[in-house]
Amino acid sequence: MNDMKVRVKSLTKKFGDLLVLDDISFDVKKGQFLCVVGPTGCGKTTFLNCITRLYEPTSGEILVDGEPVDLRKHNVSYIFQEYSTMPWLTVEENVAFGLRIKKKPEAEIKESVDEVIEMVGLQKFRNYYPSQLSASMLQRVVIARAFATKPDILLMDEPYGQLDIELRFKLEDELIGLWKKLGTTIIFITHNIEEAVYISEDILILTNKPTTIKQMMANPLSRPRVVTEKRFIEVREQVTELIKWW
Amino acid sequence: MEKNSDLKFKVISCCSVIGFIAVWYLCTDILQLTTDITLPGPVKVLHTFIDKFTNKSPDGGTLLQHMWSSLRVALSGYAMGIIIGVPLGILMAWYRPVDLLARPVFDFVKAIPGLAWAPLLIILLGIGFMSKAVTIFVAALTPCVLNAYAGVKQTREVHMWVARTFGATRRQMLFKVAIPTALPHIMTGIRVALGSAWMSIVAAELIASSSGLGYMIQQCRGIYRPDVIIVGMLMIGFIGSVLTWIIGIIERAVVKGQTHDA
Amino acid sequence: MMRKILKNEWTVKIGSAVIALAAFCMLWQAVTVFTGMGDFLPGPAETFAEFFRRFVKPYGKAVLPMHMWSSLRRILIGYTVASAVAIVLGIVMGTYRIADAIVMPLFNIIRPIPPVAWIPLAILWFGIGDASKYFLVFLATFLSVLQNAYAGARSADPVLVGAARMLGANDGFIFRTITLPCAVPYIFSGLQNGLTAAWGQVVASEMIRSSAGVGWIIIRGMDNNDILQELVGILTIGIIGFILAASMRGVEAKLCRWTTRGK
Repeated sequence: MNDMKVRVKSLTKKFGDLLVLDDISFDVKKGQFLCVVGPTGCGKTTFLNCITRLYEPTSGEILVDGEPVDLRKHNVSYIFQEYSTMPWLTVEENVAFGLRIKKKPEAEIKESVDEVIEMVGLQKFRNYYPSQLSASMLQRVVIARAFATKPDILLMDEPYGQLDIELRFKLEDELIGLWKKLGTTIIFITHNIEEAVYISEDILILTNKPTTIKQMMANPLSRPRVVTEKRFIEVREQVTELIKWW
Repeated sequence: MEKNSDLKFKVISCCSVIGFIAVWYLCTDILQLTTDITLPGPVKVLHTFIDKFTNKSPDGGTLLQHMWSSLRVALSGYAMGIIIGVPLGILMAWYRPVDLLARPVFDFVKAIPGLAWAPLLIILLGIGFMSKAVTIFVAALTPCVLNAYAGVKQTREVHMWVARTFGATRRQMLFKVAIPTALPHIMTGIRVALGSAWMSIVAAELIASSSGLGYMIQQCRGIYRPDVIIVGMLMIGFIGSVLTWIIGIIERAVVKGQTHDA
Repeated sequence: MMRKILKNEWTVKIGSAVIALAAFCMLWQAVTVFTGMGDFLPGPAETFAEFFRRFVKPYGKAVLPMHMWSSLRRILIGYTVASAVAIVLGIVMGTYRIADAIVMPLFNIIRPIPPVAWIPLAILWFGIGDASKYFLVFLATFLSVLQNAYAGARSADPVLVGAARMLGANDGFIFRTITLPCAVPYIFSGLQNGLTAAWGQVVASEMIRSSAGVGWIIIRGMDNNDILQELVGILTIGIIGFILAASMRGVEAKLCRWTTRGK
């Protein structure tokens, strides 16, 4: 049980009379890449927000490393659906933002920032402001910022939804690279089934509201994965069958 | 082609100004439509302008002395207005209880022109530096508070959430997210407050003062010297422009990277 | 039931406004009662009482409402005429570069001169009566509204204009459907600023030379060292200023529902 990074126990969330999350329980292993899929509006974002205590669960608990989630103690990074770069900071300063909040020593900040900026390929743009960058570069900044703190848990809420397919594949590959290198536990929300099958180790399928777990399945495909391969398409159709929200 | 038409318009602008002065000259010195005690010609105004640098009459001070007197008071009141106004606006926007209590009072005080406080202050503090400086302070306070407030209120929730997931304390969120977000608005407030402050010192001096540019033009009305009045008005405008220009430079330096909607 | 009241945004705002003003008055009362300032500073009760008393007892030759009317009269005509002229001129300047080139340099010289600085000249030219006040209100409003109308006319997104032209629109059409609506929020911003400037101008010019009006009341009070009169005057000025601003906001909210200019 000690390698369970995140344990969700009977998580329930109500907004007034509206029951969104209904008694959800599952575990996430350390270093696992979990994709959460489900119909739009089924409460995936609510679910992530409960994990980070941005919303308080109505009942149930969420444990990280055996303790209730505490953002000051646990090292969590969250990539939001909306663009969240700070317009008043340069790329470099944006990436360093999390480290500065956590009051890490300067030397460590510099090292982490350099490392991560190089990993996402933004060295040339270190001193640019977000207003001068394109959408994909902005997402890279956000990803760099998220990884710079070497988080235990990385939460991602449909981060590539706004980008075109080519960019999406590129960033997905980069993400997998970062994940392999740093061993972060990742919970990735998407409604794009192809994306989920491409990047995940495990897939958590949610139902419509009131949302419960339809199924937790392991992704049988080995890496590297090819989207057009027969096996890939089979798995994809399998997941689609399971979701069948229409 | 663009450059040609740009140049053409610049020439038109120059002609406009020259034309205006020419018409002025025409009306006063050539056609003699007005007298020296209603509207002096441009030549006389220029003459008086140069003369006033050294001549203390007819109001008791040289141009520079009056300028310095006005600036001294204006900048003191203005500085106090910023120092108190900006943090006050930030606090009002950040702490809901302060917002609920202070804002209605502020909304009412905002409707009172800064100058209206001057007579009360004169009764309490007498005619002199303090009453004028406090009047300026009141005039400069409002734009600083309102703009700082609006700026902090503009803070995007997602930025706060980013900070929060990184484990930021409330205080860190204030200094690392809210205030940087508010900075363009704060600078606008500071710029507007400068306009208010400069305007208020002139007004305060028109009412009760013994020196300053406002005093100068008021005195010269009584003795029918519109040439000095016009010189004074132009000086007031000029200094106001210079001050605004300085603030503009500071503003651009501080607000790099952010585009700010007016 | 209590929860429903608290949940309604409107009632929370008005309720807290009432509480805030009440708290302010209590603080004021406390200051006058418990500190040395009470020797010369009247408390809120006294001030409000005096305010209402002056509806029948005159300041000088007129009762308070008459003074209020004097001041309002001076603002209304000057403001409306100046706004109309400034909006037209501003839009013309913003649309036609040649108008911009001719008028702008002159405007840039005049603009930094605060309208209050014009008061001595205005009195010299128009005397100490109402004429000078109308001139000054006109000036103050004009400078403010012109600037905003100009910015508004120029704010029309060149991309939109370009797209319209490409689709075959003529100048008149572009003006009506793009330039004008884009300018409207700016114009209203200008009208609000202009109103504030005009009100400030009326008060200032009455303080400097007049025989009636709210500005006159507080200058008289200063001459007589009458703090109570000052407070009543300031209160009156604030009330009128507040009503004017609130009315303007109301008009704007009604006419500009498609844009939120923030509160």
